[in-house]
Amino acid sequence: MSKQFALSDLVDDRPDDGVFRINRAMFRDQDLFDLEMKHVFEGGWLFIGLATQAEHPHDFFTGFIGRVPIIVSRNGDGELQCFVNACPHKGVRLVQKKCGNARRHVCPYHGWTFDSSGANKNIKWKKGGCYSEAFDSENHDLAEVARFGEYRGLLFASLNPDVPSLEEYLGEASKLIDLLADKAPDGLELVPGRVTFTYAANWKMQLENCADQYHFTSTHPSYIRILEQRAKEEADEVVKSSIGASDFWTENASGVTGGTMSFDHGHVLNWGVMPPSSAIADFERAEELAEKFGEARRNWMFNMRNLTIFPNMQIAENASSQLRVIRPIAAGLTEMQTWCIAPRGESDEARRFRIRQYEDFFNPTGMATPDDTVCYEEAQLGMAEQERPWLQGHARGMTATVEGGNEYADMIDVKPARSVLSDAQLCDESLFASYYRAWAERMKEVVA
Amino acid sequence: MSALSPSEAAEFLYREALLLDRGEFDEWIALFTQECLFWMPAWRDDGTQTEDPDRELSLIYYRGRRNLEDRLQRIRSGFSVASAVLPRVSHLISGVLVEEASDERMKLSSAFVVNTHDVRVNRSHAYFGRYEHELVLHDGEWKIAGKVIRLLNDTVPTLLDVYSI
Repeated sequence: MSKQFALSDLVDDRPDDGVFRINRAMFRDQDLFDLEMKHVFEGGWLFIGLATQAEHPHDFFTGFIGRVPIIVSRNGDGELQCFVNACPHKGVRLVQKKCGNARRHVCPYHGWTFDSSGANKNIKWKKGGCYSEAFDSENHDLAEVARFGEYRGLLFASLNPDVPSLEEYLGEASKLIDLLADKAPDGLELVPGRVTFTYAANWKMQLENCADQYHFTSTHPSYIRILEQRAKEEADEVVKSSIGASDFWTENASGVTGGTMSFDHGHVLNWGVMPPSSAIADFERAEELAEKFGEARRNWMFNMRNLTIFPNMQIAENASSQLRVIRPIAAGLTEMQTWCIAPRGESDEARRFRIRQYEDFFNPTGMATPDDTVCYEEAQLGMAEQERPWLQGHARGMTATVEGGNEYADMIDVKPARSVLSDAQLCDESLFASYYRAWAERMKEVVA
Repeated sequence: MSALSPSEAAEFLYREALLLDRGEFDEWIALFTQECLFWMPAWRDDGTQTEDPDRELSLIYYRGRRNLEDRLQRIRSGFSVASAVLPRVSHLISGVLVEEASDERMKLSSAFVVNTHDVRVNRSHAYFGRYEHELVLHDGEWKIAGKVIRLLNDTVPTLLDVYSI
């Protein structure tokens, strides 16, 4: 029997006292991790992919919800469905490929066969099998996941039926997905080429880092120096940087530089002012988007936006445009699946530019991400049990956070639960509370 | 000058690798032409590699030696925690084949294993795959005009830099 956890030992959430603290055990405890897999990842909505990953009838792709293998399949009628990717017979993973097109899926072990809508079409040597009536009365189809839904081409599923509707789960954060989707009138797609990396630290390091404006100048100075040098020289061989062309992240920037928004169910946004410029791949559509959506909404489409849909999806629009899926493996090991996400139908030049910017910054083989992941691993070492268990990393912005939105949120008609408007050097950390409150909600049966 | 013999071609690759193993990065970069291609394709979901670097993602895609110079600047800057304690690396190259050879241009293919030891966390890893080199004769010296790195185990544990492939 794994040990018992008390929420107050893990999350010190006392807004009236100006306190929000996280215990180091949250990052290192393997028993707690096992509960997280069951209750956070297998107990509620998760992002599982894009509709364009299975675009045509009988297209499929595979993945995981927590530890459970899944297959997303478009059936012969063109409808997407999501099944547990395991044969009812002996539990064998039915489909091994990451993606493909198949009308029939045959289990490699005993040959049970299923169609693209999950229906069992053949049990090998059924007639001669001397099965009982009880067996015949069982459902032999693939198990459909309890909840499955699509929002603007993004697919979400839950193994637990007892969850709010997808609409309610996404809530006001769906309007930030709208910003991304509206920028892509022909739809969103994943640029071919999936990049997977691991790091030896807890999944919540990545969860936080995407929304952590505070780290940028201290974790990435080697990259920033290269950007500065490139800006001076303007050499043709190197890619132009959108971050280099903006100043919201610099210590002396003036006025409102960005801010944060927190939403119910754990979703957060960290954003920065990034004026439309030729350093951004979408610039070719800047005028068209302003005509269609008005200038204020268009400008928001160009702003730096790091969006987390709790607990496993992050879309980073800063140096380029990245979709990240967090897949926890153990308390101290995380797998990241990453793609360049892009609007269909952009020009060859914009696509090329987006890809070059992406590789430069986002790849684990690039010039920025390794400095993040190494910091996660160094943090994991510092999460060992010790006399002072409470971290001090969730306190910035505590006196700046307000209920509801602000004039910038109003521009795109978003009503966050809380928000912060930043000037240079604020770098809000109070938004992380949204993650941990959602975490506590999903864990309430086992951590109270 | 004539094309390199198969054994001379292999020695060229071994010497390139030795410069990376020893961390002699300036000498390594000097092997490349100014306009060189340095390309490590990514993998599509279906198990094939990306082929069009302008429409598909690569793990690394550089046209121009200047990009490699930027990489080295970052590695040596003292401001990159991922580069603060450089992993130790050992390149093993075998199966060197001369695929095309003329007096001024050669294409080589080879298999590689790069054993890395990340001193920071006491962790060893081996990257493996195939190289495709394009060599050109430049002012009487053979230079690398193109290096394609086909990394087979492409799940990257934490980091991969130009010295570890």
